[in-house]
Amino acid sequence: MALLEVENLKVRFPTERGLVEVVKGVSFSLGQERLGIVGESGSGKSMTGRALLGLIPRPGIVTADRMQFDGMDLSRLSERAFRRLRGARLSMILQDPKFSLNPVMTIGEQIGEALAFHGRLSGAERRRRVLAMLEAVRIADPERVYGLYPHEVSGGMGQRVMIAMMTVLEPDLMIADEPTSALDVSVRGQVLEILDDLVHRTGMGLIMISHDLNMVARWCDRILVMFNGRVVEECAAGKLSEATHPYTRGLLASLPRLDETRDQLPVLDRQKLGAL
Amino acid sequence: MIRIEKLNVHYGAAHVVKDVSLDIATGESFALVGESGSGKSTVLKALAGQVSDWSGSVEMGDVRLEPGRMNPALVRKAQMVFQDPYGSLHPRRTVDDHLDEPLQIHGIGNRDARILAMLDAVGLARKFRFRLPHQLSGGQRQRVAIARALMLEPEILLLDEPTSALDVSVQAEILNLLKGLRAERGLTFLLVTHDLPVVSFLCDRLAVLKSGQIQEIAGVDQLRHRDLKSGYGRELIQAAEGMSERA
Repeated sequence: MALLEVENLKVRFPTERGLVEVVKGVSFSLGQERLGIVGESGSGKSMTGRALLGLIPRPGIVTADRMQFDGMDLSRLSERAFRRLRGARLSMILQDPKFSLNPVMTIGEQIGEALAFHGRLSGAERRRRVLAMLEAVRIADPERVYGLYPHEVSGGMGQRVMIAMMTVLEPDLMIADEPTSALDVSVRGQVLEILDDLVHRTGMGLIMISHDLNMVARWCDRILVMFNGRVVEECAAGKLSEATHPYTRGLLASLPRLDETRDQLPVLDRQKLGAL
Repeated sequence: MIRIEKLNVHYGAAHVVKDVSLDIATGESFALVGESGSGKSTVLKALAGQVSDWSGSVEMGDVRLEPGRMNPALVRKAQMVFQDPYGSLHPRRTVDDHLDEPLQIHGIGNRDARILAMLDAVGLARKFRFRLPHQLSGGQRQRVAIARALMLEPEILLLDEPTSALDVSVQAEILNLLKGLRAERGLTFLLVTHDLPVVSFLCDRLAVLKSGQIQEIAGVDQLRHRDLKSGYGRELIQAAEGMSERA
């Protein structure tokens, strides 16, 4: 059975000129796999991720014919029930550790907070789990990092701390929204490997939201391409080069390559695409 | 056009640029690549007069820079385009204000015609002239930033990651625009980026920087053939390929 099933998910925001639909009926299902959602800004990819976690701020309206997570209907969940789910079974990694870690709490305390909220471990036990988790995200000196504040670590390490915090309770589903965009290229690979490792070891489902086609093609099993609030293409990651939708093809063509010799890069014809 | 010899920059006790020497020809497009902390942006800032504690010799065409002193001739010689088009425009000034200000300051006449010509040159419809930045998309804002930089008709553009905050399809538009403008106006580019494919598209040569030191200077063909000599240069290529090998 699929871990997550979504049918006809819509996210709307009321404005002065009526309801604006930012996600226009998205459907997909997810097993224990790595699913990539790619698209440009405004495509609705992040809103899709947030809707799954019940994180669309008011006055946004989320509706779906079906939003089933492990037998539970997410669209009917109360905020209280969601809080019990988030962090423990569903979790999310955000783009920039600088803005998503609490600056006045040490790293160890922050990671331990999730354990304290969702479990009944003793303080010493929590500390042990946090240290083990820091080690799992390849932090060489967990004892030292435990006591540091977020501003005292690099971006790459901050992102690993985020991952540690989000996976300390071994969630069933992780949503990673641009987990590597704020990082240097050399650190990106490392962060992705850690995520990959968690998927393999714990059987966690992963939804990777990104604007980076190539990264997603390399690190996911399956890809959804979003444009204008809709999924316009679904394919196996290895088959991205065989994509058929004009938007996907246009995006791929507009990327410069390392052995680039084209004089001009092809540009998307937005007006034509908008009519699709 | 740009001649740098033994440039050293200190931020307090930190020595962030070490003995960097570059010689960039007129009309050349040159890239500085490296990761955060490599000092690549700092080199650019020193050239733009935004850093004062440096030593060495820097000449931009016939303009010689001195540490801590802003040479007024510099702004007519070189202008800068920044990474983030959301941060580099004044939120309460219109496109017209941004383009007009440098002309006013330098007492250049015929302003109206110059602004219209510049909007055409950067591919912005004339109807955008009196809009505010928040009414524009990221790509349109970057066009405004490029237009602003070109108003004083500089010979050199200093480009600090000019497309890394933009969507892929918009990046292609801006890269095409920069390439076209350089050909039309014979501009010299110094581009700072971490994105090697962008270098392949836009540049003739590149310098690889690590911890403030140049690891190697290579032609863009070497980059295209994955033939960088330094260990760090090869690492960067590997990282870039790792991201794209299966696509």
